[in-house]
Formats: sequence, structure tokens, C-alpha cells
Amino acid sequence: MTQKIEKFPGVYLRESDFREGRVIFNEWKPNAQYAWDAGVAIGRYLAELKEGRLIGVHCRGCRRTVIPPRNFCEWCFRPMDDWVTLPDTGTVNTFSLCYVTWDMQYLDVPEISAVIDIDGTMPPVGIMHMLGDVDPDAVRIGMRVQAVWKPAEEREGSILDIKYFRPMTNDK
Amino acid sequence: MAILEKVDKLHRVIAWPGDMPITGRYTAGIAGEKFFRTIKDEARILGTRCEACGLTYVPATMFCERCFAELDEWVEVESHGTVFTYTVLHRDLDEARLDPPAILAYVKLDGSDGGLVHYLGETDPQAVHIGMAVEAVFKDAAERQGSILDIAYFRPVAG
Repeated sequence: MTQKIEKFPGVYLRESDFREGRVIFNEWKPNAQYAWDAGVAIGRYLAELKEGRLIGVHCRGCRRTVIPPRNFCEWCFRPMDDWVTLPDTGTVNTFSLCYVTWDMQYLDVPEISAVIDIDGTMPPVGIMHMLGDVDPDAVRIGMRVQAVWKPAEEREGSILDIKYFRPMTNDK
Repeated sequence: MAILEKVDKLHRVIAWPGDMPITGRYTAGIAGEKFFRTIKDEARILGTRCEACGLTYVPATMFCERCFAELDEWVEVESHGTVFTYTVLHRDLDEARLDPPAILAYVKLDGSDGGLVHYLGETDPQAVHIGMAVEAVFKDAAERQGSILDIAYFRPVAG
């Protein structure tokens, strides 16, 4: 549809028109601050990340352990029964080699995002994170990885308290 | 034995603060461009005229609100007029006290069917009344930027 329109009605403006005072305009910067309440389950997940631990929840009815934690089992709708501390190791489920950042900068060395199935979740459940300390060409689905954490004083209760996952040093 | 029943400590991470850094830019538009440029460069207020409806619009608009005709007849309107309605403000937007209080008024400009919402200055809040004759006080040319605030305020016409 838009291919049929060669020129849209209106006055075309460039950034230089604004900068050089050819256009009268108002600039408005709203004070759009927010505080997102993490909630009971994610609140505890983030607090544990700050302590350098991964935590999941277990549903006894479904005999299922999942991460990230949630208050209710979405299979059977019962409240989750137990908190489960999980190891910070896992298996690569899927990954992407990203040669472009979110703001359109090209990278020579790709960032590697991955879903890592965390050991101890049953059936395997993954979290999204980055892979590091690894040759992009060597990444494989099924690769065993372990978390590399920020030092305790730098952790703030965020998924980024884990810097990235790297191939396990005693990989089979 | 749900985890909800075992909330035994307040998490240190309860909320994730953030902000949305947005900058909005609002252009004056084609009619607005000419309207504000004339205020900026010449300290004159323009309106647009619809001869068919016999109306002069201030602020100037591109089209007639009654008959939708495109308006291209620009006329100068007086920079004085009468207070059509007003409000005395004792608090600002953040609830801080305004001392002295501010007075906002809709000033119906002579020679037009429209007007401008603006502050009244050099005015005693007790003396404001509907129908009060006021005139615009423009800022010095160097201070004018093509904004409605190029008019500093309206003040009562002396005498």
C-alpha cells in the first residue's frame, strides 16, 4: 500500500531544521520514573541471585521443579510447594550468534545469547543468558556450561549478577 | 504447604526502579509556525479569517472549524482584549504555595473571535473580573523565541 505513495502529504523536516532554528517546536521530557514490584516469587529469585545462588520452585502434584520461580504451578494451578536451591550449571538448549546489538551496532565478535536448561529442573527448564569465554564456532546444543558470577560486592539482585555462562571446565 | 505460606523475610530486592528516558518534540505546525514566528519577529498576533462564516480564529488555524474550508487569509488582531474567564491559582502543579497567587485567564482578543489563555500580571487578584480590559506585554525582541511565553503576561489597561 505504501509503495504506491511516492510522497506523503505534509512538510518534510530534517534534524538540521530543528537545530538551526527553522522550525518552531516544543521539547518535553516527562519524568517517567517507575518502580516495578518484583512480587513474592521473583523478589526471592532476585534476592538469591544477589547471594550468588539460583533458586527454583517445586510442585509436588506435578512432581515438577521450575526456574524462574512462580507462586502457582501453571499446569495444575495449585500454589507451588517448595523452594529448591539449584546448581548454577546447565546445558545449552538453543543459542544465537548476534552480530548486531539491540541499537544497531555491528559487532565483529558476536554476542552469544542462549537458553540454558538448569540442572535440577525437571523436566528441563531453561533461562536466557549470554555465553562467554567460548569460541562462537564451538558452541553446540547440548554443551555443558556453568555460571560465572560477579563478585559479591558488585551483585545487586539482577539476572546480570551472573556475567555469563561458560563451558564447564571438567566437560565430559 | 505452599511457598506463599512461608514468606518469612522481606526480600531486599522488592522493587526494580527504572525510568523511561523519552524526549518528545512537538512542532507548531504550518499555521502555528506562521503564528508564532510573527509573535517572535514582530510582536504581532495573527488570526485566520473564514469569510463564509464570518469568523477570525486566534490562535490561527489552517481550516475553519465550522465549515472545514481551508483558510489562507491572515489578518492581524489586536493584542488587547477582555478577560472572558479566569482562575486564581494558589498552588502550582507540585502543590507548592504560590505567593503571590498566579492568575490564569482566557483573554478574548479584540478584532477576533478567539483569544489566548495566559497569565495576568501587574494585577491584584481581588480586582480581576470578567470583562476586565487587558493588554499584552511582550518580552524584548532578544528574549522572544517563538513561544506563547513571548508574551510575558496580560495587564489591565490603564485608565
